[in-house]
Order: sequence, then C-alpha cells, then structure tokens
Amino acid sequence: MDDHGTLLAVVLDLSPQQWHRAANDPQPLSLDAFLSQLLAFLNAHVACMHENTLAVFGAFPGKSVMLYASTDQLEPSSITVDANSYPPFKLLDTAVVTRIAAELDALDDSHDEEEVPCALVGALTKALCYVNRISATPQPTDGSQGVPPQVDPRILILSVSPDLSASYIPIMNAIFSAQKLKVTIDACQIYGGETVFLQQAAHLSGGSYLLLEHRDALLQYLTMSFLPPPSIRKILAVPTQDRIDFRAACFCHKNIVDIGYVCSVCLSIFCKPSPVCSTCRTKFPIKTLQRLNALRAPSAIDSGRPSPAPSNAPTPTATGINTHERTPSLARRTQSQQSPGAADGFPSGSGAPNRTVSSGGLPHSSAIGVHRNGRPNGS
Amino acid sequence: MAVDDTVPQVKKEHVLLPFLQTLNQTTLTSLYKRPSSCLSIFRLLSSLERQIILNLLWLESAITTSTLAAWVIREAKPLYDDALSTLSRLHVLPTGSGKLALNPTFKAAFRQAIAGGGSGGSFGVPAAEHKDDGRSGANTTVLDEYALERWETILHYMVSSGTDDRTRRPPEPSPGVRFLLKTSGLMQEVYGSLRISSVGFQFLLYSPHEQLWHLLLQYLHLADQRRMDLVDVLSFLFMLSTMELGREYSVQNLTKTQSAMLEDLRDYGLIWQRKQSSRRFSPTRLSTTLTSSSPPLPTKTGDSSGPQEGFIILETNYRIYAYTDNPLQTAVLNLFTSLKYRFPNLVVGSITRESVKKALMNGITADQIISYLFTHAHPNMRKNNPLLPVTVQDQIRLWELEKNRLKSREGYLYTDFASQADYELVLKYAKELDIVLWENAAKRCFFGTLEGHPIIKSFIERRSTG
Amino acid sequence: MKAIKGILMTCDPAVKQILLFFNEDHSFIIEDLDDYHVVIRADEERKVRSMLEAKLESNTYSLEG
Repeated sequence: MDDHGTLLAVVLDLSPQQWHRAANDPQPLSLDAFLSQLLAFLNAHVACMHENTLAVFGAFPGKSVMLYASTDQLEPSSITVDANSYPPFKLLDTAVVTRIAAELDALDDSHDEEEVPCALVGALTKALCYVNRISATPQPTDGSQGVPPQVDPRILILSVSPDLSASYIPIMNAIFSAQKLKVTIDACQIYGGETVFLQQAAHLSGGSYLLLEHRDALLQYLTMSFLPPPSIRKILAVPTQDRIDFRAACFCHKNIVDIGYVCSVCLSIFCKPSPVCSTCRTKFPIKTLQRLNALRAPSAIDSGRPSPAPSNAPTPTATGINTHERTPSLARRTQSQQSPGAADGFPSGSGAPNRTVSSGGLPHSSAIGVHRNGRPNGS
Repeated sequence: MAVDDTVPQVKKEHVLLPFLQTLNQTTLTSLYKRPSSCLSIFRLLSSLERQIILNLLWLESAITTSTLAAWVIREAKPLYDDALSTLSRLHVLPTGSGKLALNPTFKAAFRQAIAGGGSGGSFGVPAAEHKDDGRSGANTTVLDEYALERWETILHYMVSSGTDDRTRRPPEPSPGVRFLLKTSGLMQEVYGSLRISSVGFQFLLYSPHEQLWHLLLQYLHLADQRRMDLVDVLSFLFMLSTMELGREYSVQNLTKTQSAMLEDLRDYGLIWQRKQSSRRFSPTRLSTTLTSSSPPLPTKTGDSSGPQEGFIILETNYRIYAYTDNPLQTAVLNLFTSLKYRFPNLVVGSITRESVKKALMNGITADQIISYLFTHAHPNMRKNNPLLPVTVQDQIRLWELEKNRLKSREGYLYTDFASQADYELVLKYAKELDIVLWENAAKRCFFGTLEGHPIIKSFIERRSTG
Repeated sequence: MKAIKGILMTCDPAVKQILLFFNEDHSFIIEDLDDYHVVIRADEERKVRSMLEAKLESNTYSLEG
C-alpha cells in the first residue's frame, strides 16, 4: 500500500563560507546552481503525490530558520499565478529563494570577522520538532478526525560543512529522537570530506548517506537516492554504506576519538582516564585508573599517532576533576554550550587531524572500549 | 490508524490508465505536449513507475535496459517489468530497442512542469482581478456547497430510482447527466423510466473519488460520439486537476470543445460559474482533487447534512447505528440493511440475512458491503482491532457463499467410449483445447463445454471416417 | 461413444442430496457423476434452482419469520 503521502523535511547547510569554497572548487558548484537543482528535486517530491508534504529548514551561521512548510499555507492570493506553472511549485520556489536571500543578506553585515559554526543541529532539531508536530496532531483539512495522518516522515540533510565535533552530543540526541519518532534521516555531503556524524545519523535511522562525487550530477543523485519514499526503497538498490565510521566524540574535550574510555555506569565517553565521571559523578577505583594510565602511555607512543591533546600531561585528568568540582551534574551541558570557546583551546578544525587517524585501519565498530587489553599491543 | 488486514487494500491501477493505454501514440503524444497533462498522468501512476520516470527525466541520453534494471532488487523484478510495460503502453517510455529514454515530448513538457517555464498556459489562465463592481468570485464554502449539492443530486436520483416510492422523488439532474447515467449502464430504462442497474448499485458503494472517475471515464468514451476532441477533453480535465481551489480562471484560452464541456462539468459539480454566459469559472474541490486521494467532497463535522467521513457503528449483534441525517447516506445504507428507527440525527437498523440477500440480488458483492462499512466507520470504531466485528464480516461472506451453492455450466457429457485408448485420445485433445470441466477415468467419461462441442464432434468424425 | 447435452451442476454434497431427493419426483438427472457433480437436463435448470431455493429457505432459521 503506497497511496498515502510522505513528509519530507529538508535541512540545508547554508554556510556562506563553505559555499564560497564550493564555488571555487576545481569541481565548482555555486549556491545558485545548487538551489536550482534543489528546487527541481523538491518540486519532484511535491509532484509525486498531491498528499506529499514538504518542509525546508536552513542552517545559517549561528541561526536556523524554517524556510518553507507546505502545511502552513500562505494565502493563495499572496502570489501571482501565471498560466505556465503549477501553483504549489511556484509558491514553494518563491518562498525558498526569497527567504534564503533575505537571511543571507541579513548575515552579511553582522558576521564578517570570524567563522561562526553553522547551526546544522539547530535546523535538524527544528525539523524533528516539525515532524513531531505534524504526525502528532490531526490536520484540520483531513476528514478523519482524531486520527493522525500517516505521514511516513523522513529528513534529508544536505551538508557542505565538515563535522563540528562540539555538536556530537546534540547530534546523537537528535538521532535518538529520530529513532523514537521513526523518522528516517538521509544525508548527503555535497562538498568537503566524509562526515562521521552524518554517516552515523543515516545508519542509525535507516536512511542512506552519500558523499557526492560528481557535483554536476547533483540532481540525478538526489532523485535516485533520496526521492523514493521508504515504502519503495525496499525494492530499490539505494546506496547503502558498507563502511560506517562509528567514532564518537569525547564528552570532555569534544574530540573525535578512536579509542576512548567509557564510564561503566552512564556510558559517557572520555578521551583520557579520569578518576571521576564528569556526567554521573561515579568515582572509579584508583587502581583501575593507574592501570589505564600505565597502559596509555606506551601504546600512544607505539602507534605513533598524535593524541588529541599532549599525552602524559597532567592536565587532562585535572580538567576532568575541575569540571566536576565546579558544577557536578551540569558539567556536560555547560561544556556543550560553551562549545565555540572550548573548541578554541584546541587546534582549529579539529576534525582534520583526526581524519588521518581514521585511515589507520582500526576496526570502526570496536573502536570504543575501556578494555585496552582488547588491542593487539595491549598485552 | 491501524490498517485492518481483514479488508484487502490492494493497490489498484487507476481506472483512467487502461483507457489511456488504448489510445494511439499520436493522441497521447499531443496530450503530452501540455505540462499539466504530464503532471496529472504522472500522479496517477504507481510509485515505482513515478520513480522510473524521475530517474530518466534529467538524463540527456538513453541508457541501456540493463543499467536501469540493475537498480531494482531481484525479488522485485516482476514489479519492475510490470511498471515498464505500463509506461511503454502509455508511450511514455518506449521499450524494445534495448535502450531506455523517455518520450521526448513527455520529457520536455514534464521538465517544464517541474522546473517551470514554457508558454503553453497549460495550468489555466487566471482571470483578471475583478473591477470594483461588487461581484467577487465564489469562496471555498460556496464552491464546496455547490459541488456537494450537484453530486448528491446525481447519486440520490440513482438511489431513489430503485425504490418504488414514487411520492418522494428527489429533483432530477439535467438531461445530460441522465443521458450519461443511461449510456454508462449505471441506469437502464424500464417501462419508460430510468431504473438503477446492478452496476449502478455497486457504483453507489464506491468511494466518491472512484465514482467521479467512473463517470468521467464514461464521459470520455462518449467524446468521439459527440464529436469532441479527445485530447482537448482530457487536457481540460487534467488542467482542472492542477488548478487552485478558490481561484477564478478565464475561459478565453479554451478550445471550442473545452468551452462546450463547461456546461457538462457544471452539471457534475466540477466547476462553478456565476452564470452560464460568464467569462470565468472556478474549479470545485471535485476537480482539484482529481489526481489525488484526498476527499473530493467537503467533509463536515458539524450537525449540517454534509456527508461525514465516519458515521457508522456496527455491533457484533449485527445492529448498525448510523449518525446521519443525510437522505443519500440513509438510502445507500438501506441497500443492504433493514432500517428500524429513524431519529433526527441517527438511523438504526440491522444487517439481516434478508437485507444482505436483497443486496446480493442487486449485484452488490459481500466485499463491497464490507469495504463500505470499513471506510465509513465512526471514529470511535477505529479504536477496535479489527475494526469491524469479525462475526459480522464472516457472516456477510457466508451469506454470499450460500447464494452460490450451486454452480452450473452447460455442455456435453461424453461417455460410452469404445476403448480406454479412444477415451484417452479424445480427452487429451479436449484438454489441449482447455474445454474439459470434469473428468473421470474410472467411469471413462468427461464433461466438456458447450463451445468446445463442435470441435470435439468434428474431431471424432474425422477419426471414425479416417 | 455418446455425447449427451446437459448442464453440469457443481455443488456441495448436502445440496447434491437435496437434488437427488427432488429427482425422485421429477427425474431430471441425466448422470450422477460424483459427490460434487451431477449432470441434469438442460431445460430443467430454472425449476431445479427455484426448488432448491425454497428448500434451503425453509431450512433457515429466521428471527423475523
């Protein structure tokens, strides 16, 4: 049975800097070219069924905005209809283009000096809230009172920015809510390298992830991979991931880590052993800590990989204790809110150095573990 | 909503598609010139067919058949082949050359529909804003009321023709509508007056959307007879389906055929015009939802007489409570229930063997009754799983089976064969022709159809003479 | 060999017994094939059907009746 509409929420990464880079790439894709292909894709979704609904969210530096939602109709007379276009398409195209232009214009005068990270997570969260609202409340236009419409929701993230390691926790939280809402998350990385978090988002919610290789064929990629509703994806060979990067970011420094230390009580992840879990305040036995620290020092030298922070330094444990002493239970949340500041303390673009690590051939799925003995050189 | 699996919800092909497939390539290609027609036809297709079209839409060159086939998993191959052959019969995607590319006319027009542009005006020319003369176009409420009134007149006319109560005759629809009902076989002339036929009874239990298309399909069949240009008729219907509810359109760009259609469509409630000579028209919800599955008639929840989506409560003791004061719905219910009491907003009846038998005699099937009850179940019933009491569903089906306890086929019994070899030879021949209804080797006889008899007869004669 | 024109009736054993019962008075059966099939004379079908209908009806319990 495939005769009910589906809800598609599209999250656009509209970071001006990244789009500027994408336009000057050897394989250029300007924002305008992207938008025209995107609109064709969105129109195709609306064209598929009269009942299909659509929402578009934009992630701008430090701000996320809902650009268009087919359920919040504007007055029909607010746009001029011409005889050569289907009114809903026209409405959609005009709304998306004008809103994006307005938002970008507003940005230009305020943020020139530094790169503010794109509020991709904010937009994703807004999309989830929207999906929740649509699927929870019956639509007034629908005749069946009291019965929420079947919307088969899915979210498509079109990203151009690299992973922002500070947003690991919010992204994971968004993924978990998506799982709970039975929302499929598709992700397409249009520019830049692989992103770990989006891969995980797609994998965990049953969607597909695509790293765009031929940017000039964007529309074809979008149509073939992301347009089919979940009901017919079962019979199509949609791209799936054979390798998923499952690495997580540590809770203490927001670094993406290959090997981390997991609190046995609350499963928080840390890049270094710490005597007390900063999340649940569990105190670990001093013996375990000594053993872990002892194993840590030689192995870091063995593999010759750069640690996220200078190894052997006393500071890492100290930070852990400090945060704990200051605000015990809120440690995790305050840190994530201060993310831009916290990230400053580390080499900028912390995603980049870690990428080299990922090619080290570690099995991705078992990358996280307290049991250092599991490693070949641990014994 | 929990989908009840006791009622088969088989995805049926849209009724218009088989009709379109009978048209020749020239007709279809001239239809595909208009972006709005492409969009509407596209929406009638199944989701796999739509996806195939979209996959090929933006390609400049043809791709090999195997490339596209690789994109479907092996288990779904039959579905995929089905989809391809439908598209091929619609002349949207010609197959056979080993390469796949969309019909160029369709591709160009559909690209235009998606990406905008073009100058054909296929989505309807909106009427200019009214000058300040106090007249304004109809708003949605007016349009809905108008459509509902028109449509119910037709249905009510059909229902009441089946009863013998001549005293309370509803208003008759226009001659054009009556002619259509007659030629479509929904009604037949008995002693000079139109009576509903068994097809008509089945028609009443369809969803409004199916009813609408059923009638329009008949309208299309009549197009040739009435010297109307089929492409014009179809593209006008498709244009209506892409129009916006509550907006007024100008008649200036319509062809002669299309202008002539305005009157018919007004009678069916598809469009609204202030007066017959008006230079502008507004599509009603009936037409703007032609290619969707949203309810084509406005649904009301208040106490007014509009049809409510769910109003029937069915109990395990076969009692039926219908919260309605709509005479049409009451009349439809009366087709298969015996009504007991009638209150201002409630009709009580029960499903009995007699009432179901009456319905079966009228040509209504058990499945149609069950699916009618299913689609019109009261929201409170939706909490039940399964939605309808199983006992009642089973009993309705059993009553239907009871009617068919005896099946008969006319034919010939072949017996008294001279030898076993003779018998086997003739039987083998008859089996190849697929005319054997029953056989018994021990008794050395078999029963063949009436149609097969001359062939068998000549076969035996040839053998005995030769 | 012989070819006899007739109507093949397919039914359940219960109905067949009723048909055999009718046949005692009216004799319309050409050949009793098996539990589910009988061949009857071509011109008798309507009569047989209406007799069967009446018989089945009289065997049905009805709330109103």
